[in-house]
Amino acid sequence: MLRVRGLSFRYPNGKLALVDFALTVEPGELVVVLGGNGSGKTTLLRCITRTLRPSAGEIWLGDTNLCSLEGEKLRRARLELAMISQHASLVRRSTVLRNVATGALGRHFGWRTALGGLPASELKAALGYLTDVGLADLAEQRAGMLSGGEAQRVAIARSLAQRPRVLLADEPVASLDPEACQEIMRLLQRLARSEHLAVLCVLHQVELAYTYADRVIGIRDGRVAFDLPRDQVSREAVRRLYVGEAA
Amino acid sequence: MSGESHAAAALFARRWGGALQSALRCALSLLALAVIIQALFVVEARPQDLVTGIRGMADFIRRAMPPDFSRLPSAIWPMLQTIDIALFGTLLGTILATPLAVLAAANVTPSRSAYYAARAVIGFTRAVPDLVWALLFVTAVGLGPFPGGLALGVHSVGMLGRLFAETIEHMDMAPIHALELTGARRIQVFSHGIVPTILPSLLGISLYRLDENIRSSLVLGFVGAGGIGFQLLTAMNLFQYQEVSMLLIIIFLVVLAAERMSAALREWLA
Repeated sequence: MLRVRGLSFRYPNGKLALVDFALTVEPGELVVVLGGNGSGKTTLLRCITRTLRPSAGEIWLGDTNLCSLEGEKLRRARLELAMISQHASLVRRSTVLRNVATGALGRHFGWRTALGGLPASELKAALGYLTDVGLADLAEQRAGMLSGGEAQRVAIARSLAQRPRVLLADEPVASLDPEACQEIMRLLQRLARSEHLAVLCVLHQVELAYTYADRVIGIRDGRVAFDLPRDQVSREAVRRLYVGEAA
Repeated sequence: MSGESHAAAALFARRWGGALQSALRCALSLLALAVIIQALFVVEARPQDLVTGIRGMADFIRRAMPPDFSRLPSAIWPMLQTIDIALFGTLLGTILATPLAVLAAANVTPSRSAYYAARAVIGFTRAVPDLVWALLFVTAVGLGPFPGGLALGVHSVGMLGRLFAETIEHMDMAPIHALELTGARRIQVFSHGIVPTILPSLLGISLYRLDENIRSSLVLGFVGAGGIGFQLLTAMNLFQYQEVSMLLIIIFLVVLAAERMSAALREWLA
């Protein structure tokens, strides 16, 4: 579903952040990326969403190479690619239901959505996604009133409203307590299976990767250090990803 | 260099640094004093005139008492005009300032040229006082409340545009970027992300501006832009001091009520 081939990215200051990077994430699979600070994890996700323009390589979403697209074609292709980040990034003054339904905005265009309206069908669907993440009873509450864990679940529901084929998660549990971390990871795992989503998740918590990932990709200095099924990843291989980081 | 020399150099620098700071502070104090003194000279400040003028003030107050409330019905329509001039001006200013603020906010402007053009319009409308705008509009559309409303509207564009743009620039951009990543179009990101985020602040600023505009619209009457200001000026010119005092009481009550209502509404929105 998501295939990255020969991906490289060089920052304007000359620093090479990704070097000949390759990965594949199949539908229904939860792949975790582990790596130290500055290893290129977030750059990888930003290249896949094309927020950054890769210096070289290909990013295939099904049969579409995102690197060959620009403008409206890129926007349309990106509809199949949802992203959640460390902070839920909800519109705090809007209701939870409206926040979720805005995930579907890219599929609608007309005066109604341009002027702040949302199609009734999307609001109804949003309630369904909220039920999926266990927050249907908070639908009419303001998003600013939610706890960190609840807000992150709403962000996941919003990404489901986008009806993507690939879900990217950039440290989605970084600011949550341990219980909420487990809850979010369980949810991502369940959604990968039930919605046949290809989930690519950047994490810092090694134990969560060992518990929930189908495969683990180690990244060091912008290169793939290993790409293995969860049960074949040794503690030593993971430790080496972080060696020298504290120095 | 030895450790001793280092210590001596540090001591020397500290002593001279302290002396230099004291001299600088003294020079700045003298400069501030000079600025104040020149201001007193330029405005020809004569405190003794205030003392000798008390008799004149007392005479004015004596002649203004008691306020002539029999003239109250004739003040109601101009007062309503004054409030409506402010309402019209604030509404016009808000409508024109909102799109300008979007162009003038560095974080959401579609292009640098639009940013500079919007900033220029905002700067110009703010720099020209509302009284001057009123004189211009009186010349253009004649006497009455309409030029007053236009003057307040155009001047408000500058004030509101700047404050709206600052509000947009300081808002949390994370939800906006998240919406962009869902594939929403620019107009949808604006209406579903930016508007709900900043709307309460914009309404609060507009209400504050309405409160300011009510006070400004009183003065605009002095240059023929309608409202109770014009009636106040006429009463003063005709030495109708009892009517003047009645009008001042009405103005005070209306301004106070507007201020309280605006503050209460802003608190509710917060």
